[in-house]
Amino acid sequence: MADVVVRFENLVKVFSEGTKREVRAVDDFSLSVERGHLVTLLGPSGCGKTTSLRILAGFESATAGNVYIDERRVNDIPPQRRDTAMVFQSYGLFPHMTVLENVAYGLKVKRVPKREIVKRVAETLGLVGLEGLEKRPVGKLSGGQQQRVALCRAIITEPRVLLFDEPLSNLDAKLRKGTREQIRRIQQELNITSLYVTHDQAEAMSISDQIAVMSEGRLQQLGSAEEIYARPANHFVADFIGEANLVPATVVATSADEVRVRMYGAEIAIAQEDVAFGPDEPVDLVVRPEAVDLVAASEGDIRAFVRFSHYTGSIVLYSLELPDERRVAVQVANPQEHGFLQIDEEVGLRLHRRSLRVLARGSSDDR
Amino acid sequence: MKRMILCLSLLLVAGLALTGIAKETLTIYTAFDQDQAAVYIEAFEAANPDIDVEWVRLSSGEVYTRLQAEAANPQASLWFGGSNTSHIAAAKAGLLEPYKESLAWQYISPQFKDPEGLWIGLYVGYIGFVTNTEFLAEVGAEAPTSWQDLLKPEFKGEITLAYAFSSGTAYTTLAGMLTAIGSSEPGFDADDEAYVAAFNEQVGQYNTSGSAAATMVGLGEFGIGCVFSHDIVKKAISKGYPVVMTFPEEGTSYEIGGMALIKGGPQLELAKVFYDWAMTKEAQDLYKDFFRLPLNPMAELAEGSVRATDVNVLPIDLVWYGDNKDAMLDEWSEITGEY
Amino acid sequence: MKLDAYRREVRGEIRRLLHDPVLLGIVAVVFVLLAAFIVFPLIKVVQHSVWPGGTFQPKYFIDFFQKTYYWRPLVNSLIVGSLVSVFGMLVAFIFAYGIARTDIPGKGFFRLVAMLPIVSPPFLIALAAILLLGNHGVITDALRLNWDIYGLPGLVLTETLAYFPIAFMILEGVLSKIDPSIEEAALDMGASKLRTFFTVTLPLAIPGIASAMLLVFIRSLEDFGNPVVIQGRFRVLTVAAYHAVVGRFNMPLGATLAIFMLLPTLMIFVVQKYYVARKSYVTVTGKPSGIGLKSTEKHVKIPIFIALCILSGIILLMYGVVLFGSFTRLWGFDNSLTLDNYRYVFQVGGQYVWDTLKIALTATPIGGLLSILIAYLVVRKRFVGRGAMEFISMLNFAVPGVVVGIGYILAFNTPPFQLTGTALIIVLVFVFRRMPVGIRDGIAQLQQIDPAIEEASSSLGAGFFRTFTRVTLPLVAPAFLSGLVYIFVRCMTAISAVVFVVSAGWQLLTVALLYEVDQANLAAAAAYGYVIIGIVLAAIVLMRFVVARLFKGGLTPLGGE
Repeated sequence: MADVVVRFENLVKVFSEGTKREVRAVDDFSLSVERGHLVTLLGPSGCGKTTSLRILAGFESATAGNVYIDERRVNDIPPQRRDTAMVFQSYGLFPHMTVLENVAYGLKVKRVPKREIVKRVAETLGLVGLEGLEKRPVGKLSGGQQQRVALCRAIITEPRVLLFDEPLSNLDAKLRKGTREQIRRIQQELNITSLYVTHDQAEAMSISDQIAVMSEGRLQQLGSAEEIYARPANHFVADFIGEANLVPATVVATSADEVRVRMYGAEIAIAQEDVAFGPDEPVDLVVRPEAVDLVAASEGDIRAFVRFSHYTGSIVLYSLELPDERRVAVQVANPQEHGFLQIDEEVGLRLHRRSLRVLARGSSDDR
Repeated sequence: MKRMILCLSLLLVAGLALTGIAKETLTIYTAFDQDQAAVYIEAFEAANPDIDVEWVRLSSGEVYTRLQAEAANPQASLWFGGSNTSHIAAAKAGLLEPYKESLAWQYISPQFKDPEGLWIGLYVGYIGFVTNTEFLAEVGAEAPTSWQDLLKPEFKGEITLAYAFSSGTAYTTLAGMLTAIGSSEPGFDADDEAYVAAFNEQVGQYNTSGSAAATMVGLGEFGIGCVFSHDIVKKAISKGYPVVMTFPEEGTSYEIGGMALIKGGPQLELAKVFYDWAMTKEAQDLYKDFFRLPLNPMAELAEGSVRATDVNVLPIDLVWYGDNKDAMLDEWSEITGEY
Repeated sequence: MKLDAYRREVRGEIRRLLHDPVLLGIVAVVFVLLAAFIVFPLIKVVQHSVWPGGTFQPKYFIDFFQKTYYWRPLVNSLIVGSLVSVFGMLVAFIFAYGIARTDIPGKGFFRLVAMLPIVSPPFLIALAAILLLGNHGVITDALRLNWDIYGLPGLVLTETLAYFPIAFMILEGVLSKIDPSIEEAALDMGASKLRTFFTVTLPLAIPGIASAMLLVFIRSLEDFGNPVVIQGRFRVLTVAAYHAVVGRFNMPLGATLAIFMLLPTLMIFVVQKYYVARKSYVTVTGKPSGIGLKSTEKHVKIPIFIALCILSGIILLMYGVVLFGSFTRLWGFDNSLTLDNYRYVFQVGGQYVWDTLKIALTATPIGGLLSILIAYLVVRKRFVGRGAMEFISMLNFAVPGVVVGIGYILAFNTPPFQLTGTALIIVLVFVFRRMPVGIRDGIAQLQQIDPAIEEASSSLGAGFFRTFTRVTLPLVAPAFLSGLVYIFVRCMTAISAVVFVVSAGWQLLTVALLYEVDQANLAAAAAYGYVIIGIVLAAIVLMRFVVARLFKGGLTPLGGE
């Protein structure tokens, strides 16, 4: 039986309920987080990820549904008694205190003796490379340093759940990468169950055990990075994660591990085993730009004309026009080696069978 | 948590401390002017070093209302000074404590004390007119010598005195008017009503304090004031202001400055010490400096004090006016529109 | 649907409150305090006006409408209020526009002058008016004028000068907050500066102007000190109520008059808060930014500068004549200089100085802490009844001081709540009278802090009390301390509520001042006035010094990069 630390059960949050300006920020959201895992809530702004996080922390209250920490219902418990600790987007450091005082704050609340506090603070600061800065007023630190102090402050209290609210948004790009790796490393070393919120896909995919993709208050798909990228459950996830071409097709036949579809006169077998489709069902095929080879016109599955090309050094991105005037994007790596195509040239598209995904038409959002 | 309990208890203690742990002092209300009261009370404290006096200065009307407000739990034990019409009203309302055992009460003549011992007279005063001579020169008039004179057109808006309800001086003045005008039966008759209405038109400003008019006339803010003669002498003439004092020929009203023990007062025994002291020659000699007329026959009189023989005095039924104060004030409010 | 949602919300809030006993305790205590010291006295006032002695007997209500002389004071008060709000707004506008929107010299000086009436007992100006413009005043005599300052002219003059600073503070904020790009856009499209002013600037400022006028109206309606001195035969409601209670112990009449005072002020308050304030196009919280178009044309600057000089001259003249009067032997008659008046104040009034200081210094920190606590609860916490708490604590803003005074006498005169005669009742009057302003300022200060900082504290396990004292208070400390001075100043200069609750044991300087004016001891009154001003100025200077020393480095809340 999986050791579940955090569980959202049919969570609903409605702002200004009953008024004209009613907003359903979270809509029947359910999620479980296992011990030691880092689960990321990923989605566009307004999708309900931050609201859900804050409900878990206790800063917002749920309109309906339940929140459990270690199977204890915490809906009505105030934030200071929930054994969670949060790292804020704006850091939330106490500006009138030094680094030591900030980091030690949670320990002081627990009445940890002073000597032990000093020791543990030094250890924790050491984890992030800030040893020796105890006496510095936090106002004198750089943004990256402040973020790490905020991290130390949260982890030193050894909370059951560590919460991250877009902690890297205020850092510049270069720092973001290094800091997120540091966060992941520490989280794994200390084996702290964590819930992480971000709108940055690269961030989510690089540090999470599982990603919960959200949109309009609902969970779209829960899975590993590879699952959501290679096997998106619906149009939203397919479109939100990475780039996707959606090509219409019709089902010919399905079997246990394969779906045969017909599109543009070609018949293609795609490896897919989890979904059942009926014969002649209209579907959309998710074709990632890198999942296509460009070959001679007669050798491909579909014929197309090159209409636009966009060279960025390591790849060239072609915009191709299909027989029905639909456009798809195809990415070719290392064009130096493979050669450049000309505008209006006719080519053939050979699709990578194992990289395609079939979605039922109209699966714009799902549970 | 501990810190919070500590703070809360500190606040509680502070609060309790402020409610004032009762001291062994005598609390009195006085209707004497601030500076006069200070002199008399300090003299008492000097003569009685073991008693500390806390006092509040209120006009006599205000003392009466304060007693009514505090009837369930009186804060003071003695009422020192002020026109006795208020004392009479308070006696009628059952707010005073009798003290017939006082020697002073026993030897003072009946017209200057309450028959039940509920109040006693400290001094006598007569209502006079104080007029600014520069004002007279400006309007080319003579100082008023009768109640009717006050209605002269050149005096319109130039008269000042206190509200009848807030000051014993003004109420006594009103009693004088009502007795002098029309029939001398107590209360308002038709002539009285007409007079008071007309007089009201002459008034430029009503004050809260009874003797303020003397100073204001001295300053020249107003032309004429109706004030007790001792206040006129003390506040205007002796200061050197350009004023002149006259009395109405029809006769003027007088007041008895009264003193009484407050029923249920917290320090009645101490109050009795003060009461007795206030009637002694030593205490009443002090009135000389303020031009009051002491009722202790042994006390000295000030230079230039007005005596009964200098002035025409009206036969005012002070007791009746004291008893019916509320009704009289209501009618006065009705006529003047002031309340 | 709406009701269900509401009920669910309330039940949820109650549950959460029950799980946080510290918060619950504090909320409960605050409600008890508000109920006892704001709501209860008001209820008593209403009760005594129509149920005196326990029977339903609205005699005075009926009398009020039937007898002319009963409602005349109400009409008078409204007339004065209307005139004062208009004139006050005009004076304030000149000051505000000159300081915020032009580059005339001497702005610091003009601003000081505009704030002068705030640090002194307001009715000092009435005293000055008599000294200068009374029937035998300096100017009256010098120019041989034949007028009567008592009555409507005196009331309008003194209240305008006394209360325009309130309008000034609002208007200065409004005018300096107008987004300059809006006006620049107008100019860009060819509108002249004058046209821009009338079609862009002024309309944007109208909600602020309306607010300013309404608030000055309320202050004028509740003014007690000035009318007592200078109303003459033009009776206003506050003095009538005072006389009814203190002069005649006619509590039903007093309570009825209090209600008629309360109705217009409450209406105006509600209109201002829920209607005008919502329409504001510019925010008035925080400090003025100082950016924005400055008029530099001579034909605008010069008249404004002249007008400001004249107005400042008048104000300084008034304060000057009172200062001079405090040193004269016999004002108007014997102007030889003497220190006797000050000796008098410290001898006869020496105890009053101590009493006043003791009470003010007790009420100030209590009032300050209570205000910031309530501001914190209202801004940061969610609990059942939060809206009610905010409303009740702001209520005293609209309740005239006289009504509060009468209410407190009625409410705390009999056991088990016998507080009359104590210092505690005066402290309470001060604490709860000053609260609305303190709360409003507290809310503004709290909104400057990144909420994440306090959430971080809760997230780390700190309860309400620790977060409030270790994190919030230190961050608002500079503004909080400055706010304390303001409370102290108002305690030292208040009159209309406290005149009802002074007693044998505890007397206040402002009331002593009033008594001296009552007895026409103008010089002594002037001396009292300047003793009060002296104490207030000392406090302001002291607090500036303290804040500067304590917060040398300056404190700004962090909020990310």
